[in-house]
Amino acid sequence: MNYHRPTELHEKANADAMTVFAEHMSQFKGVCDALHNIEGNLSTIGNDALKAVLLSPGRVIQTDDGAEWRHDVDLSKITSICHRRTAAGLEFAVVECLPLKSGEMKSVLNSGHNVQDLLREFMRDQRQVLNLWKDDVKAHVREHLGEKYPGQDMGIVVESFEIKMARAISETRIVAHQSQSRGIRI
Amino acid sequence: METIPKNEEQTKTTTSPAERLAYSIQEAADMLGVNYFSVYRLIQRGKLKVCRALRGKLLVPRTELLKLLATE
Repeated sequence: MNYHRPTELHEKANADAMTVFAEHMSQFKGVCDALHNIEGNLSTIGNDALKAVLLSPGRVIQTDDGAEWRHDVDLSKITSICHRRTAAGLEFAVVECLPLKSGEMKSVLNSGHNVQDLLREFMRDQRQVLNLWKDDVKAHVREHLGEKYPGQDMGIVVESFEIKMARAISETRIVAHQSQSRGIRI
Repeated sequence: METIPKNEEQTKTTTSPAERLAYSIQEAADMLGVNYFSVYRLIQRGKLKVCRALRGKLLVPRTELLKLLATE
């Protein structure tokens, strides 16, 4: 960890990197906010999915492996909770309909018989994706600053990016924990 | 899997985008028509194979992108 006070050059480099990686940072924040929203409402979303199974047949979504699922609740524009009836009972899945330029790719991201466990597993996977994204941006920022400010130690700027992104990821966990605690008190 | 150019900047300046051997996540997202998170999600699920460049950044080989676009 670099505890040096940032210099004017560091401030300039940080502002520059924020401009260069603005699209990454903006999309990253948007995804974190969306996941934060899901994580804060896990119980409600789970209950809504169960209600949907009982109240509505739901439209059929055929995933690329040929399996047929019934739509229950949307998690985002491209992900939704779906269900199907199997010999082992009701099975739930988070299905992604990814609109690639070449056509829609429909896949099961997670599946299971308990909708709450399914959502928790989905959230765990999404945090892993966010960490992969964070590490990649960090590598890009390091490379960009290394090329733009050769010979200068820009570690403090790279760290500030990493901290911002790590904080955005962990905030989703804190909010979810607070939300669960509130639920217990009620 | 194709070889990743050692100096990506050099490749950027000497070849057209269509001739590149590998792309950043940003470029891959543009080519696939999805947002960055979807590309990272494809990587995490093993649907899109990537390489790590010298400083740790992820690069998507063109062959992998073409494979994904062709199978859909």
